[in-house]
Amino acid sequence: MASQGRTADIGRRDILKYGAAAGSGAALWAAGMRPAWADDVALNVLSPLPPDPAPPGAAKFSEDALKNWEKANGAKVTYDAVAWPQLHDKMATNFASGTHVWDIVYMSGWVPEFAKFTTPFVDKLPADLVKDLPPSSFSTVTWDGKKSGVVFTLSLLTLFYNTEHFEQAGIKEPPKTWDDLKAVAKELTRDGRYGWVLNYGDPAGIGGVASYWMCFLQQAGGRLYGADGMPAFNNDAGVASLQVMLDLMKDGTDPGSISYVGINDATNVLLAGKASMMMNWPFMWKPAQDPANSKIVGKLGGALLPAGPAGTASIDGTDAWTITSTSKNPDLAQKLIEFYLDPEVQKRQVIDTGWLPIRLSTLADPEVQKAAPNAAIVLEQAKNPYDSFVTPDYTQVTTAIGTEIQKALQGGQSAKDAIQAAADQVTAIVKKRS
Amino acid sequence: MAGRSRVGAWLARSTVIIGLAVFTFLAVVPLLWMLLSSFMQQQALTATPPDFAPASFTLDNYVQVFSSAAALGRGFLNSFIVALFTTAVALAIGAPAAYALARLSVPGANPILMMILATQMFPGIVIVIPLFIVMSRLDLIDTQLVLIIVYLSFNLPIVIWILRGFFLAIPPGLERAAAVDGATVAQVFRLIVLPISVAPLFATAVFAFIESWNEFFFALILTRQSAQTAPLVISQFAGQYQTVFGQMMAAATLAIAPVVLLAVIFRNRIMQGFADGMVKG
Amino acid sequence: MQRPVREAGPSGPAGEVSALGTLEQRRRRIGLAALAPTLLVLLLILAYPIVDSMLLSLASVNVAGTGFARHFIGIDNYLALAGDRVFRQALWSSVYFTLLEVVLVIVLALLVALLLVHPFGRAGFFRIVLIVPWAIAPVANAVLWKWILHANYGILNSVLLQLGIIERNIVWLGTGSRALHVLLLVDVWKSVPFIAILFLAGLSKIPTILYRAARLDGANAWQQFWHVTLPSLRPTIAVAVILQTLWALRIFDLIYVLTKGGPAGGTVLLNYLAYRTTFNDLDLGYGAAIANVIFAMSFALALAYVWLLKPGLQQARA
Repeated sequence: MASQGRTADIGRRDILKYGAAAGSGAALWAAGMRPAWADDVALNVLSPLPPDPAPPGAAKFSEDALKNWEKANGAKVTYDAVAWPQLHDKMATNFASGTHVWDIVYMSGWVPEFAKFTTPFVDKLPADLVKDLPPSSFSTVTWDGKKSGVVFTLSLLTLFYNTEHFEQAGIKEPPKTWDDLKAVAKELTRDGRYGWVLNYGDPAGIGGVASYWMCFLQQAGGRLYGADGMPAFNNDAGVASLQVMLDLMKDGTDPGSISYVGINDATNVLLAGKASMMMNWPFMWKPAQDPANSKIVGKLGGALLPAGPAGTASIDGTDAWTITSTSKNPDLAQKLIEFYLDPEVQKRQVIDTGWLPIRLSTLADPEVQKAAPNAAIVLEQAKNPYDSFVTPDYTQVTTAIGTEIQKALQGGQSAKDAIQAAADQVTAIVKKRS
Repeated sequence: MAGRSRVGAWLARSTVIIGLAVFTFLAVVPLLWMLLSSFMQQQALTATPPDFAPASFTLDNYVQVFSSAAALGRGFLNSFIVALFTTAVALAIGAPAAYALARLSVPGANPILMMILATQMFPGIVIVIPLFIVMSRLDLIDTQLVLIIVYLSFNLPIVIWILRGFFLAIPPGLERAAAVDGATVAQVFRLIVLPISVAPLFATAVFAFIESWNEFFFALILTRQSAQTAPLVISQFAGQYQTVFGQMMAAATLAIAPVVLLAVIFRNRIMQGFADGMVKG
Repeated sequence: MQRPVREAGPSGPAGEVSALGTLEQRRRRIGLAALAPTLLVLLLILAYPIVDSMLLSLASVNVAGTGFARHFIGIDNYLALAGDRVFRQALWSSVYFTLLEVVLVIVLALLVALLLVHPFGRAGFFRIVLIVPWAIAPVANAVLWKWILHANYGILNSVLLQLGIIERNIVWLGTGSRALHVLLLVDVWKSVPFIAILFLAGLSKIPTILYRAARLDGANAWQQFWHVTLPSLRPTIAVAVILQTLWALRIFDLIYVLTKGGPAGGTVLLNYLAYRTTFNDLDLGYGAAIANVIFAMSFALALAYVWLLKPGLQQARA
């Protein structure tokens, strides 16, 4: 058993433990208190981590320009760069607590949801800046008549396809209509590859299966909500748009699609040459040209999304900057956002990180067009509808719709039943809100 | 008769050997694969079947992980400090509490025990918002202290539950003998009970350390940059637009390596702790 | 056992006189003092959020409307739950999942423990192998299995394809039911080590004379197991069942990383539903109600186990 010496040791060890715990506790507590240097004004920004759209400083571009801006404005910019899937949780918790942490917050489809916690500042932006931005880019960051955010990258879903696969099959151009799409997808499903791949695994949010369906919905001339705010998709357009996805699923889609929870899962398949077509955001161009990760360098083509009965349509990624209502320096924060939208910064944004600029003048810049060959396609796509139908309960609505769509994709119900069920649930959600 | 028992014995032995083999296979193979793929290139991993040619192996994944996460070092340090202090304090206040519940005829010991265990039954996900609100009013967000405090409250119940079980199983004769010799309760605890409980103390310490190291959700919500822990750093490698599988595995391997090493090094103490925590017979 | 004397000046076993009360009363006081820090910590840190969450479940929060302010609505949230199809499905899935997981984990852990006490299994190597899956972080575990189960590049499909067991890749997480069972197996894999360690501990506590006596009575291996091993393990099994049930009801990381509740809501279990309602839908009151349901279930189950297995637990004390 224990010797005398050992038991005495334990007594001393206890005291040491207590003492150490107490002492370090005090030290940590002191360290936890943040000192307030009064020289520079602190601006805190919540942003995604690269390769998601991140501002200068969080992503590696225009860092010197940022330093100059900080000096010129007597500010110190600190980034909380968080993995994209965690952004919503963090900001929701923070807003719930009412404490001030960030001055600028990145949002993607959450502006109506958090409208109460942001400050509408767009009307105070310089006129020449606003003129250089596509007017429709404000539709997803406006709620209740107030413009609370500004989109900083033109990010619409467009078609990406493997040019080599097309050549091999003798297909001259990318599909222009729904029928073309279905035929091509079927034709290209061979040799262990699939014609179409997409991440149907997550029902909710921008980039979830419901939002993909909304592309097809608009291509059929449909809308999600009517003027009264109630669901307006329980009609032929709604059913037909889902039917296209079901037809594609039956013949020509990678069966793993239903299990791909993030778009990166689907992108991997395309970049490995295992699928021929997918919808993706403009950013996709860059990683596809990286030989370390892509087997299809130089073989990627871009095109407009195939048109339905009403033409082509897409959805907006709505990556936007907002200013929190708890910010003590909203004017300075606004200046920082203007810096992010500076033409030179926007140019470096696309050339260095692959995220398209939002400024029309920058998009027209020949240097930019050379660096991002798909910019022209996205611009063209932007001439057609691209509503994301963002409302305060966007997440809940897309979860409901997305779940019904998933059931249909698995063959568990018909398109008609899925749309009916989805419409009923969305009606209940909207009623609860108002 | 002898022949039949020999066959029977042989059958029993083979079953055991097969059983051990299956067990080892199932337990080890996933982890081996994690390690292996962390050294392989994306191209090799997305080939079907995976390309195991020597050229496919690379250190690049680890290089990327190290270079893009300067936070990795800080994450490890934070995890270490938080886990260490949580464990120390959990034992320091949990062991006496467990002894009190086991031996010191505390009134209402069973309801108290139930209540302590009940705190484990509440889904943490949902209390995170009120907790965040309280902690941000106390200006404790993004400090190591807040994580220590919160993890302490998670680990205490299990520490107490396990230690109490062992204290109960110690034959009371030992303590009674010491009491007869005039020892106070504190002395009995310190000089008799604790020394023979080193093993279960060790086991619960390692348990608390591992739980604190591995916790993710509260660390996500309660920290910003300075107090980020290792699991948060791994999560940053599940990219939004493209997953480099090898990097993901490299990050995961790095994040779990310290804790796994700890568990392996101290496995005997842990096993012993759960097993021989008391005098036999 | 000293009988407490009711007036001042009792005598201890050695005839000591103490003004502080009987030995029992002193022990009781010291016990309370030893317990105090724990109760303080738990009360301060957890009591407020838990109580707040209970109150929250009696309120409705309309973030899109009035922000995070609460409006008291009594038990309406719970009534709504009863009629909520999604909740009912999650409840049923959770019960199914928990039951299966507990049974699988207990049985497999017992088998593993028995293997490891066999002379062949005593090598330290096996104990290392046992302990590693337990030590890895749940997030890392989820990420690893997401990689293994990947429909196109996962090693599982590759191996099965190569061995000719399957003809084309199986989408393991492709349907709600299949995904649920896959998650079950992964969580069992992760949970068996700890329970096995508990059983190893319990097994080593069984006095060998019991086995010797049984053998003398002519019992074979199976009978020894049934009449000596299992009864002696009863308290350990009880603890294992309680712990594993509590943990199974709170599964989260795997769902969050692997399926996000899909496909088609097939892997939405109660804890994940509470998270999704609270953080995605920002319906704090409703989410709190779901959490309280989980709490009530866990509490009731724990009580039930303790009551059912009281004789077994008493044995541990004897």
